Amino acid sequence: MLNIHNASVYFAGRGGSPVKALDRVNLDIPAGGIVVALGASGCGKSTLLNAIAGFLPLSEGAITLNGRPVAGPGADRGVVFQKDTLLPWRSVIDNVALGLDFAGLPRASAREKARALLKLEGLEDFARAAPYELSGGMRQRVNIARALATDPAILLMDEPFGALDSLTREQMQELLISVWAKTHKTIFLITHSLDEALSLGTHIVVMSPRPGRIVARYDVDFVKRFARDGDWRPIKTDLEFVRLREEIRGLIHQSDAVDAPHERLAAHD
Amino acid sequence: MTDVAAESSKSAQPSESAPRIVAMRDVALAGGHTIVISLATILALLTLWAGATSLHLVSPLFLPTPYEVVTQFVAVYQDGYANATLAEHLGASLFRMAVAAALALGLAIPIGLAMGLNRWAKGIFDPPIEFYWPLPPLAYLPLMIIWLGIGETSKIALLALAMFAPICLSAQAGVRGIPLERVNAALSLGATRWQLFRHIVLPSALPEILTGFRIALGVGWGTLVAAELIASTRGIGYMIMSASNFLATDVVFVGIAVIAAWAFVFSYALRWLERVLVPWKGKG
Repeated sequence: MLNIHNASVYFAGRGGSPVKALDRVNLDIPAGGIVVALGASGCGKSTLLNAIAGFLPLSEGAITLNGRPVAGPGADRGVVFQKDTLLPWRSVIDNVALGLDFAGLPRASAREKARALLKLEGLEDFARAAPYELSGGMRQRVNIARALATDPAILLMDEPFGALDSLTREQMQELLISVWAKTHKTIFLITHSLDEALSLGTHIVVMSPRPGRIVARYDVDFVKRFARDGDWRPIKTDLEFVRLREEIRGLIHQSDAVDAPHERLAAHD
Repeated sequence: MTDVAAESSKSAQPSESAPRIVAMRDVALAGGHTIVISLATILALLTLWAGATSLHLVSPLFLPTPYEVVTQFVAVYQDGYANATLAEHLGASLFRMAVAAALALGLAIPIGLAMGLNRWAKGIFDPPIEFYWPLPPLAYLPLMIIWLGIGETSKIALLALAMFAPICLSAQAGVRGIPLERVNAALSLGATRWQLFRHIVLPSALPEILTGFRIALGVGWGTLVAAELIASTRGIGYMIMSASNFLATDVVFVGIAVIAAWAFVFSYALRWLERVLVPWKGKG
């Protein structure tokens, strides 16, 4: 379980004055859950993910993973970025095995494990291909396989499907759910898509900008229903799904509207 | 629906023969064969040269005939010129280029990478490099001779200095161009500092380094003749200079042709090396 306690982050603003990007965020990510952070751009959701990954130190507060404080990046937290981060000089299978190579695993067993993960992602036929020979959706599947290879305690995903077209995006969501159902991985995922949040999350935290903070939490079970039934139609036409979507939409618009004059005041400081 | 289908199949009818292949129009040159045009240009230039000399439009002192140059090439190749054979001149020049290139690569790559990674390395090496690299090598050649003598050392040092800067600056640019996400991804996969350098930084900077090396080789050839101007007894540059002292224009042409041929070979070898080492260049 990942625990975030009173996490605040200040960046240097114009003229060096501190700007609050994250305001006393408290969040528990339970083992085996999919926590989705949802919000408009600038709401601090990427800042939060970077802090969990250890790329960004906190100004105040603490993050602990299974009781141990997070002090920097490490293989116990796998990260999938929106931008493709595969190494073009390594083949697909060697990219998946990268973290295992770093850990000093023997080459053969690292490739064996990588092959199994590629199979899980439906990419076993592309093991020897170069990353630039793959489509965007396939590359992102390789990124997910690579992040899973070191068997991290939690998978952090920073708008992982944001750069994909909407049809590929849906396929990727279904693939992620099937991987989750098979591996029971703990996942923290960032999105600005309401539909994606409701489809993928077991828990949804809604964030609002300037300063980034959590304004609402929801526990939902649509992802479990899809994992069980494999059919979106009854889920996405479910009144509860539609009602929640509109409620959260209202929440996000409201926090944006309230925020606008606040931002103008801050600019005069 | 059916109408549209019928319409489209009807319009597809006439293209029974080979279809007309089309592509987007573009201002910039994209692919396309230029080899025939280039060969025609070379042929035209040679014809112009042969014509101008055989009609005695130009004095042979300024422009020898192609035939004279070829004969002189055979003579220099067989009997040598200025107390050394063509192979000895060429060998001396290539030796200087090779040693200087090895020195420049060996120093410039680690220093350039360090300057891209480390504040101290950047702070220390920036002032001397920024100071010397815009200078023409001929300007500090006298210093090299005063400090290092008239032997091989001063010539190789001059060449190595000229080749150092482009490699060093490109290695630095290569490090600065690494996307932060790529570094962070490696760190979150458990990379140690050395693994980060070996598996991410070095290969990421390699395409830029090779580009820098190509520029360095060009600069090297340019500096070679200057380096061999002073107190040499061997070298293609020396051969050209000594021929020009005796107004042996045909030998000057032979020297220029030899340098051009070798520069072409080097440049081609590097392009091949690029294809082997960085096949992913320009592909994301």
